[in-house]
Amino acid sequence: MSLRRVVALFRRVVLEIRRDRPSLALLFVAPILITGLVAFILREGQTPTVQVAIVNEAGPPGAPLVAILTRSLEEQGASVSSAVNEPSARQMISAGTATIAIVLPANLGTGAGPTITLVTNGLDPSSDAGQLGFLQKMVLGVIASAGGTHLPTIVHATLYGSPTVDPVATFAPAILGFFAYFFVYILTGVSFLRERTGGTLERLMATPVARGEIVLGYTLGFGLFATIQVGVLMLWALGALHVPAIGPLAGFTIGLGITVAGSPLIAFLVVVLLAVGAVSLGIFLSTFARTELQIIQFIPIVLAPQFLLSGVLFPVSGLPAVLQPLVHVMPLAYAVDGLRQVFVRGADLGVGALQADVAILALIAVFFGGIATLTIRREVA
Amino acid sequence: MSTSPVPIDTDTSAGPPAGGPAVQAIGLVKTFGPIRAVDDVSFALDPGRIYGLLGPNGSGKTTLIRLLMGMARASAGRAEVLGVAMPSRPNLSRIGYMTQSDGIYSALTVAENTAFFAAAYGVRDGSAVADALAIVDLGDRRDSPAGTLSGGLRRRLSLACALVHRPAVLFLDEPTVGVDPLLRMQFWAHFRALAQAGTTIVVSSHVMDEADRCDELLFVRSGKVIARGNGQELRLRAGTDDLEQAFLQFGGDVAVTR
Repeated sequence: MSLRRVVALFRRVVLEIRRDRPSLALLFVAPILITGLVAFILREGQTPTVQVAIVNEAGPPGAPLVAILTRSLEEQGASVSSAVNEPSARQMISAGTATIAIVLPANLGTGAGPTITLVTNGLDPSSDAGQLGFLQKMVLGVIASAGGTHLPTIVHATLYGSPTVDPVATFAPAILGFFAYFFVYILTGVSFLRERTGGTLERLMATPVARGEIVLGYTLGFGLFATIQVGVLMLWALGALHVPAIGPLAGFTIGLGITVAGSPLIAFLVVVLLAVGAVSLGIFLSTFARTELQIIQFIPIVLAPQFLLSGVLFPVSGLPAVLQPLVHVMPLAYAVDGLRQVFVRGADLGVGALQADVAILALIAVFFGGIATLTIRREVA
Repeated sequence: MSTSPVPIDTDTSAGPPAGGPAVQAIGLVKTFGPIRAVDDVSFALDPGRIYGLLGPNGSGKTTLIRLLMGMARASAGRAEVLGVAMPSRPNLSRIGYMTQSDGIYSALTVAENTAFFAAAYGVRDGSAVADALAIVDLGDRRDSPAGTLSGGLRRRLSLACALVHRPAVLFLDEPTVGVDPLLRMQFWAHFRALAQAGTTIVVSSHVMDEADRCDELLFVRSGKVIARGNGQELRLRAGTDDLEQAFLQFGGDVAVTR
């Protein structure tokens, strides 16, 4: 053991890292950025504005309750409107002019314990849950303080999916989208970086191949693997293969067994569009990397914020207001929303919200494709 | 795809004007910031000959080749290959380029690499790959992954990829670096055979002992062509029988005493 040699190694390591500015910056920037973002979301996350539509099917006997509810709700910062019946309230939720509906039943005040129905959208259970808790407490409190003897039963109904929806059903599509995005980015980024550093891009540029042809070829190639990956993941998510008990081994199920409300093919389309955008992103970012390590280093800066801000973990509506505009530039946010529309709502391509998601994903893919094309010859100044 | 911003001269069917030069530089300049990597270079190279660009590392040889191929945009002046102004993407199908680095895909086999570049050059002839591999004596290794080849074999594959489309003009950037003497001799035999078949070859090198294998030499120093002629003439003009001495003398580094 020679101290001199150890010190020499130590000094060399320090020198190398000191000169690798991106790595050095990332050592500090990445954890600060990510923890800062998470803390900000958790602390400043807003309770989304609750827009209540009250349906009074009881007529005049229900009017006093409606009045008290309205006042209490408005005191709490919720906006209140009324709807003539449950279908029209559902229409309001679907149109986005209401986030939750309270349906007061016809038998209100007749003595029997009434059943009050709360209707939510159902696409995002975590944001629904907050509103439900808020309203449940309020309705019960209002009725109790009004001297109601028969406490109502409160039931929950949803526009899409079911109130008892499998939490995995809303979580899985988001994770599916994220992994497709993540791996396609890594594969393309590393592969294109090799093309740049290995001299094959230089050589390719000496042939009549056009830059757009390169981007298109890459997109098709990695798109194929993304398609296979998504296909396998979909089988895993939707499938439920029951393996019976054999001897001492207990029976078990292979696959998540999620029921998809819509067409798996449309979900497929959404993920493939997302992946195509990731190919171009990988090509684009490979311009700024000199080593494969640096491609990986872009993950906390480019991918982690998308993971936090696209509704994978936290509902988009609950994000701090400052971060809301960012959500609109995150490709993943459109994919997660689109996938939930298909998985939970059962949307087909006739649904406006899904059309918008698909259109924007396609636009993003084309936009990054254009940018990737422009960056290819850049080093060839 | 026609998204390239590079102006495209679609008329490549016409060869060089009869008797015209295969490669022409007219007042070529390339600056990188304050550095003049190529500094007002003009020359014309005739078809079917081997030209050597000789100069030390960093003298601007690679930049000059890239300017001639239209892979870098000239700060001033212009380049023509086979009578077509560069850059011209279609014209690249008549030009071969062997880079300093091997520029081959390690995961693909010898034949797959060659076939890929054949397709990139738009070659439809099915025998092109086999022909190119035969020229560099790699026919028996066609199914070996390129990543498993030795350095010399990789250079051969790199050369095969550069001539798979039977180019009329071949730019070779330091083709014999890291190549053993036997393979180097074979390479030069290939080059000579290609030139005799009409191919114009521009070879860059910093090894002076390869110079005498070229029909004509261009000494490059600090981005300028400081002398041109065949080895014999240059030695005579510099008054020395050593090309390296001649080079230093033309560059003004030493005054050769007679």
